[in-house]
Amino acid sequence: MIRTIRSELYKFRTTPGPWVVLLVTFALTALTILTAFAAAAPPGHSFGTPSTPQQLRDLMGAGYFAALLMAPIMGVICITAEYRHQVITTTLLVTPRRTHVLLAKAVASIAWGIGLCVASLMMVGAMGIPWLVTSGGSASAMLHQVGAVVPGLFGDYALLALFGLGIGVLVRNQIAGVLMTLVLSLILEPILVAIAVHILHYNFNWLPSDAAASLAGGLSRAMGGGQGGRGNAGITLLAWWSGGLVLLAWGVIPAAVGYLTSFRRDVT
Amino acid sequence: MTTATRGGLIEVTNLTKHFGTVQAVRGLSFSVTPGRITGFLGPNGAGKTTTLRMLLGLVNPTGGTATLYGQKYAELPNPNKMVGAVLEATSFHPSRRARSHLQMIAIAGGIDPRRCDEMLALVGLSEAARRRVGGFSLGMRQRLQLASALLGDPGVLILDEPANGLDPQGIAWLRDFMRHLAGEGRTVLISSHLLAEMAQTVDDVVILSHGELRAQGPLASLVAQARPAMRARTPEPERLMAVLQRAGLPFARESVDVVRVDGVTPEQIGPMLAQHQIVLYELVRDATNLESLFLSLTETGGAVPSSPPTPTAPRWAPPTAAPPAPPPAAAPPPAAAPPPTAAPPAPPPAAAPPPSAAPPAAGGPS
Repeated sequence: MIRTIRSELYKFRTTPGPWVVLLVTFALTALTILTAFAAAAPPGHSFGTPSTPQQLRDLMGAGYFAALLMAPIMGVICITAEYRHQVITTTLLVTPRRTHVLLAKAVASIAWGIGLCVASLMMVGAMGIPWLVTSGGSASAMLHQVGAVVPGLFGDYALLALFGLGIGVLVRNQIAGVLMTLVLSLILEPILVAIAVHILHYNFNWLPSDAAASLAGGLSRAMGGGQGGRGNAGITLLAWWSGGLVLLAWGVIPAAVGYLTSFRRDVT
Repeated sequence: MTTATRGGLIEVTNLTKHFGTVQAVRGLSFSVTPGRITGFLGPNGAGKTTTLRMLLGLVNPTGGTATLYGQKYAELPNPNKMVGAVLEATSFHPSRRARSHLQMIAIAGGIDPRRCDEMLALVGLSEAARRRVGGFSLGMRQRLQLASALLGDPGVLILDEPANGLDPQGIAWLRDFMRHLAGEGRTVLISSHLLAEMAQTVDDVVILSHGELRAQGPLASLVAQARPAMRARTPEPERLMAVLQRAGLPFARESVDVVRVDGVTPEQIGPMLAQHQIVLYELVRDATNLESLFLSLTETGGAVPSSPPTPTAPRWAPPTAAPPAPPPAAAPPPAAAPPPTAAPPAPPPAAAPPPSAAPPAAGGPS
């Protein structure tokens, strides 16, 4: 099992896809940092200094937006690249027990998800904190938010990568898998939440994005802060641990369903 | 590399596979013994690849069993060190380098990473080790697949159309290499839709058509069922025809210097021509009849009685390499082959060419 995990990690390293995802994570985090400073701007100014706990939390968790988009894509790539290029044949010849293959891929996806989180935090450290200090903000106040945000952000990246893997196992097709995760996060979730909140008056707070926001200490759902962590699109977020459990379910259930249906099918 | 005899028995029993309403394989049973090369033959769509994939656990059988070493593939303790398979030349990530592809397998299979370089050298891809597989020609991919299959030094080799994309030199190298591996006691199963191509390689045949077994047994027994014929090229066709006429053998002149003789074997005609001191440029077995038999088996659904493989049966010698007489002495001894997975061995001696160490150096993408 350990050998299979090592091989899966090695596969990630030897193809360009995961490295592209890593670069995009850096870039998206940088953009989110920009929007965090823009959200704190006083009237008539482009940028301000984040100072409230929520603003500082959003700055600390600037990798959240990248987590929503890039971590699932990483998981999708982990499995769909195998089907796309028929490497799955080689993989199953070396490791014929499909449960082992899927578990190894889950571990590898989570590991790379954690790597993406480290990248996003590096960007916050390299860009967000110096900018905050030079614009008169308090680095120590921001660092007070580390405990509330960072462990949950790691959880977000790990579980959203697992979620992507599950989607990939279900659909097998790389383009379809990537599109599904992007459409869900960028289009479907906001629409569903808006309908639920404004028409049905239902606190629809258990979709992946809001569960991830809950786990990372109540981050703002919208890029740039929105209305703050407790008021994303008018919903009340779950407690961090509830959000974590919901996100775990989003990670595990698609993979389990995919294993029971798609992954055990014939490889022809 | 260890060279112990450790090939495993392949056993397929009443194997059946349905894809919806399509019956790809129907009640197929055969066995493949170690130390011999077995050709798995049949036209395109006969069910060969499906059978091999069931054998390797990639496709779930609708019924029946397929085992290696007495176990299902998925139950083998370390399949990568017991079975090597070449299934298709497309199972590569195009952006991954050749060396990395092998390394990926070595890590998962618990194989010494140094084997990667050894196998690349063996198949003649050392120069291309750091190139991305996406730029490889079909022949190079086929060689890389072969390197993958040999990485774990397995006792059983399963090769699905391995000659696809190889040039004639590569095919000749592959043929000799398979012969050497079987000579070490390994089990070698090669699928192909061309009997003529396999006739120079295999000891036994399993012939499949429409998902059903048509024939199984030593190639020699199949050859025996085909009406023998020889084709002689000589500067003395008139003398040859006179001799044949006196002997009462049916013949036909095919060109200025080629005469076809029906109903004779090399053992029968060779001494006769030597006795009359007829100069020969060439004396070859006419494969047309064998091919016709193969076609009749696979097209009309006719079946011939199967006979069990006989490991002690004399090896069949390539007809084009055999002088008129005595044919058995003309077969290149398998023992002359170099070790397949060690460092490239010395060049072959000029007198009796054994398998070369590696195929011709890999070229660029074609």
